[in-house]
Formats: sequence, structure tokens, C-alpha cells
Amino acid sequence: MPIRKFDYKYYAFRFSGIFAFLILWEVLPRLNVLDNQFIPSLSQTLMALVSIAEGGELFTHIMVSIWRALAGLIFASAISVPLGVVLSRYYPNSLNLFNPFFRLLAQVNPFSLMPVFILFFGIGEDAKIAIVTWVCLWPILFHTTTGVKTVDPILVKTALSTGASEVSILRKVIFPASLHGIFEGIRIAVEMSFFMLIAAEMIGATAGLGALLHNSAMNTQIPRMYAASATIVLLGVLLNKILIYLQKRMFFWKEEQDIFGEPQQKEEVKPFTQESYIIIAVVLAAILFVGILQVQKAAYEENNPRNKHKQHTNMIHAD
Amino acid sequence: MFKKIIEKSIVILAFLVIWETASQLEWVNPMFIPPFSKVVTTIWELFSKGQLISHISISLYRALSGFFAAIIIAVPLGFLLGGWFRKIEIVLEPVLDLFSQFNPFVLFHIILLFLGLSEATKITIITWTCIWPIMFSTIGGMKSIHPIIFKAGRCFGLNRLNIFLKIILPATAPSIFTGIRLSLGYSMFMLIAAEMMGCESGLGWLILNSQENYQIHKVFAVSVVIAIIGVLLDSVMQWIERRVIRAENIEVLNAEA
Repeated sequence: MPIRKFDYKYYAFRFSGIFAFLILWEVLPRLNVLDNQFIPSLSQTLMALVSIAEGGELFTHIMVSIWRALAGLIFASAISVPLGVVLSRYYPNSLNLFNPFFRLLAQVNPFSLMPVFILFFGIGEDAKIAIVTWVCLWPILFHTTTGVKTVDPILVKTALSTGASEVSILRKVIFPASLHGIFEGIRIAVEMSFFMLIAAEMIGATAGLGALLHNSAMNTQIPRMYAASATIVLLGVLLNKILIYLQKRMFFWKEEQDIFGEPQQKEEVKPFTQESYIIIAVVLAAILFVGILQVQKAAYEENNPRNKHKQHTNMIHAD
Repeated sequence: MFKKIIEKSIVILAFLVIWETASQLEWVNPMFIPPFSKVVTTIWELFSKGQLISHISISLYRALSGFFAAIIIAVPLGFLLGGWFRKIEIVLEPVLDLFSQFNPFVLFHIILLFLGLSEATKITIITWTCIWPIMFSTIGGMKSIHPIIFKAGRCFGLNRLNIFLKIILPATAPSIFTGIRLSLGYSMFMLIAAEMMGCESGLGWLILNSQENYQIHKVFAVSVVIAIIGVLLDSVMQWIERRVIRAENIEVLNAEA
């Protein structure tokens, strides 16, 4: 691979917009152009963020949120990917019959279903994971069926003519060909899951980023609220970038387009190998494991609040 | 033609029948899932006692104001950003990427600080949520115009205004409409969320209120009403799309919606 000189000027120019935004955020509240009570400056927000991060509180919140979203996503995929593949490959007529029904269910506003879920599962982990699962089911199902339906029939016929068994055809032809669609569905599902999770946490939880945000807002601790907001936004951006990176590597033959339609690919992309899949599986398992520990820790702390923690909050308030 | 209607609705009807029997025969707790007939009668009650209409009109007012405000802001902005200034695009792209990631719930608390619990807060949130699909699809539409068409226009001696009216508008109209349809769905979505957080009227508040008073049949009734309104609005948009824009690719769009 050719060694490319790092193009400082291009990147500086490209991110100058974001720099300008950050500088404005720092300067305008200090000069009281924007009311400092309502918009704390960047440094104040960062200080609040650091104070949350001390003692591992921030880590707990982040891990709990990610764990819930991941659990919901896994449940939804486990249900809708097999369902989508089976329905669209083996029972396409049934799929046509069921489609209006699925669309109707997908149209129902998940917020209006939230009270129903809370009734069924109580205000605990189960309700939030259930809501996230419901919200993620539909995009994954629709994109899976589209992906499987658009598998080139010639590929399937070629496989059949080599005498492949049904399982082989599934594994080697259909699954890789529809993977793009499935991944697109998962991407949309991840966005929606995070979205709904914050909303669900704001309603009835004591740990997690949405709860942190809601809590700070209710106690009018403004810098803390902004710190929580910034964390949520940054986490969303990070997730998005990771998913885009994964997509580029998994489907290395496709050309990327940014929102302005210019081709993005400036360098070669390394394709995925077996090891990469194993790495992903390990990372997901680690997130689940650590997340569960954090959830238990949060539940324990809810029952036995630490006094040291209370003093900590007062100190921020006095600022 | 009848076959088509039957095909489309048979599963839904079967589902309704199962719902009704399961609830009446107490296979599921009728406190948690009231039978469909009861939901329908509840809708009728709410309707005839007049509450429902006022809630619907307030909710629609909020959603549609946010929706139209988003169109008015996002479409011109999309045109501006879509074509003329390459350097500004390079700078603005990361910023727009970042801003579009701002979760409306996050912004809700911030806007709450500024505007308090008024109509403006909810309309602002809905506007914010709706701006992004419309802006991105306008930009996408502008980018997909083949440059040869511009060159042909210049050959004909069109001035700026005419280039806009005769070339850009018709070429980007399908993409803009796709974005508009998407954001109509988002506006209904965020409407309920915004009304559930700190409000005293509207359909979202009605759901929350009914839940707090354990009137589950009302919760279901309002959910059904919301779904119906959503489907109606979408049909209106589809009708407008069919009349205003040449409908060659409507089938393709709908099959993937």
C-alpha cells in the first residue's frame, strides 16, 4: 500500500466547522451573550462530566444503557432474521399475506405502547428491553425480507446445479447475498434502539444515561445535564461511525457516498476475515458481561445509597 | 379486485378475531388487554363526549406546525447547501453530521429551559426532528441531477431563476417528497413523545393520563386512533405525490416503504 502523507490542511479545513462550534460554545456563555444559567460553557460542562466520571458513575451509566440496547437488539435479531429468511424464501405467499399486518404493527407508535409494556413487565429492566426489542423488530424484519427477496436467482440456480443441499444453499448463497440488507436493517435498528432507550429510561429508571439526564434536569443541575447530553450525543456518533466502519469492511466492494454525494473512498479497504468476526463476537460478549455486572451494581446502589455520594452531589450544586 | 382487498386484510382481520376471543375468553387478562369490541366502544365514547376531537385538533395543530416549519426551513437550506459552494460543503458536512445526531429527547430538556412548558417547546422539538430527513433528501436530490442538464440549460441561455424553476425543482421534487413523507411519520412519532413529557392536552397526554388512572381500554383506544391518523396522513401525502409529481416510480417506492 502506498504511504500517503497525512493531509493536514484538508483535515483542518474540514473540521473547522466543528472547531468553530466548540469555540462558540466556550466563548458565548462566558461573555453572557447566551445566558450562562441556561447554557454553561464548554469548560463547565467538561468539569461536570469529569465529576460524574469520578467514582465510576459515568461508566456504570454508559454500560447499563449500552447493555440494554444490545440485549434488545439481539432479541430482535434472533426473532426477525430467521423469521424474515424463512418467510421470504420458503413461504413467499404467506409473506405477501402478512405484509400489511406487519406494516400496521410497525406503524403503531411505540410511545403509545410504552404504558402497555410497563403494565406487562413492570418498571424494571424487562420493560425497557421489551420496548427496545419491539422497536428493533420491524426494521430488521423488513430489510431482511427485502434482502432475501433480491438475491439473484441465478446464484441459487447455480448452487442447485452443483447439487448443493438446502442448508448449504442457505449458508453459502443466501446468507452472504442478503447480508447487506440485513446489515442495513441492523443499522437502522441500532439508531432506533438507542433513541427509544433514552426515552424509556427517562420514564422510570435510576441508572442509565437517560435517567441521568432526566435526574439532572429535575434537580436543575444544568452543567450535569449538559454533560449527560454530550455523552449521549457522542455515544451516538461513535456507534454510527463504528457501524459505518464495519459496513465498509464487510462490504468492501461497494462505493461509499457521503451526504453530499461525493465518493468517499480514498484508500483501499481491508476485507473482513474470520478473525474479525470472532473479534466482534468477543467484544459483544464482553459488553454483555460487563453490562450485567454494572446493572447489578446499580440495583445494589439504589437500595443502599452511599453517603459519600450525596456529599459529592452537594459540592457540584454549590458551584 | 376483491381478491386484492381480501389478500391485504385477511391477516389483520384474523388478528382482530384472535384478539377478541382471547380477551373475552380470558386467555389473557382482560384488565391488561381489553377486547377489541370494548376498544371500539371506548373510541366511540371519547368521540361523542367531545373530548377526543379537541385533543386530536390540538395534537394535529402541533404536529403540522412543526412539520410545515421544518419544510420551510429545510428545503431552502437544502437547495443552498446542495449545489453552489463546494468549500462550504466540506466544512459543513461534519457539523451537519453531528447536529443530526442530537437526540430530540436530549434537546427537549434544553429547550425546556429556554421556552418552558409552552406550545413552542413541542413545536420546536417536532421541527428539529423533521428538519433532518427533509434536508438530507433535498441535498441528495440536488446531487443526483446530472451536470449535463445544467450545461444544456446554460446553452439555452437560461438565467439563474429559470435554471432553478425549470431544471432544479422538477428534478429534485421526487427526492424532496420522499423526505417529506418520511418526516411526516417522524412528526407524528415525536408528537406523542413530546406530549407525554410535560403537557396538559393532546393525544399523548391522554395516553399518559389514562395509564395513570389504570384505564387501559382508553390507552388502547387512543393508540388505535393515533395509528389511524398516521395512516390517513400518509395516504394524503401519497395522493399529493401522485397528483403533483409524475408517478412513474410510485410502485417501487411503496414496495420498499
